[in-house]
Amino acid sequence: MLRGLHLAIIEAAALLVPAPQRAEWLAEWRAELWYVNRRATAFCLGSFSDALWMNRNTPAPIARRWFGLESPVRCLMFLAGLTGLSVLLAIGPLSHGALAPPRSAVAQDMAAVSAPEDSDRRNPTGPEPSPSPQNHAANPLPIVAPGQTGQGWAPNWRDGYLGLPLALCLLLLVMFSSVTPLSLGEYPVNRCAPAAPLRLLRWVFLAVKVALVIPAVLCGALALGPIAPPLAAWGLFFGLLFAFRWALMDQRERCPVCLRLLSNPTRIGDASQCFLGWYGTELVCSHGHGFLYVPGTSTSWYDTQRWQYLDPTWSNLLP
Amino acid sequence: MSGVLIETKLSHTAAIILQALQAGYVYGFSVMETTGLPSGTVYPALRRLERDGLIRSSWESQAVADAGQRPPRKYYRITRAGQATLAASQKRYPLLNRLFPVPAQENA
Repeated sequence: MLRGLHLAIIEAAALLVPAPQRAEWLAEWRAELWYVNRRATAFCLGSFSDALWMNRNTPAPIARRWFGLESPVRCLMFLAGLTGLSVLLAIGPLSHGALAPPRSAVAQDMAAVSAPEDSDRRNPTGPEPSPSPQNHAANPLPIVAPGQTGQGWAPNWRDGYLGLPLALCLLLLVMFSSVTPLSLGEYPVNRCAPAAPLRLLRWVFLAVKVALVIPAVLCGALALGPIAPPLAAWGLFFGLLFAFRWALMDQRERCPVCLRLLSNPTRIGDASQCFLGWYGTELVCSHGHGFLYVPGTSTSWYDTQRWQYLDPTWSNLLP
Repeated sequence: MSGVLIETKLSHTAAIILQALQAGYVYGFSVMETTGLPSGTVYPALRRLERDGLIRSSWESQAVADAGQRPPRKYYRITRAGQATLAASQKRYPLLNRLFPVPAQENA
């Protein structure tokens, strides 16, 4: 029983390990577990730390390999698919009325008052019609009997239902941009940089990503609404926060020319041996468009990541 | 490995783990037991040391493991660069080479 639990812990941790190294990593931890005869659970929990180390020191993040998000087109297709799925969940047949107007528990006991269909019947100078139920057809404000409500009622419910999340989106955007330390980096233009319209492409890509993730999160939260309203509210807040942050983090790791994810991270320097020297991580575009230098520690002269455009001849040197 | 060895300054933890490997505790769990460090520290440290070229890993052959009726172990050996780094660490931490007893034969 406990043995199974320990193996399950290790296998759960293995999900964090990049697929190429996972089998060997699992074999090592299983073999080591075989020798552990006390405090095996604590031993197994340590595997998460090891798995995280493996994950962080892998050339490309694991999740992106799963979904093929290195390519910008695939990334957008994935996001579009995710958005489509969320919309389907929110408005489709499985939604259980997620986008339907909220129903009152006493709806059958309620009466609605509506405007008359024929405005010619209004006669302000004429005698007041009798308020008796028999004359309600001629009444300028006919009373609909209880239980007959619902059709065409609450026509602006979408405004209230979607207005709040959209306001929350805007609020989060403002809040996020003011409090997050995540900047998109510096991309100084040199003679190797592409033309201005091409340089704008990365901003278009970022805008499309944000435009796709917002409805995905919104509809996902709306789909959760009928099931667990508090969860939907928190899910909306944290979902939007996570989505914005992901969009920025993803953007930071892409080549500004071809928009593919950068690869081959290489550590330069050693924090314990550098006083005023530069140390950090260098990434390269696999198509030879440039290098990205990410400082290990922000300094006054190198406070954020910096891109360096390369000459087109570099593309011949890279696969 | 290039001929030029650049001295790497190790943290206390990394130096202790390297010393344990030098003393003959050559697989992860034995390093854990000897040093008293938790698994969440030892295994990532081993990976870092291997990435920096200070140690090298190899799997025990299946035949040997089968003979012992146990799963094959992954052994870690200290490299020449690792030995040079450890020697430098021992100068910095003089008590380091007195830390561990000589391991039993099965760990050697």
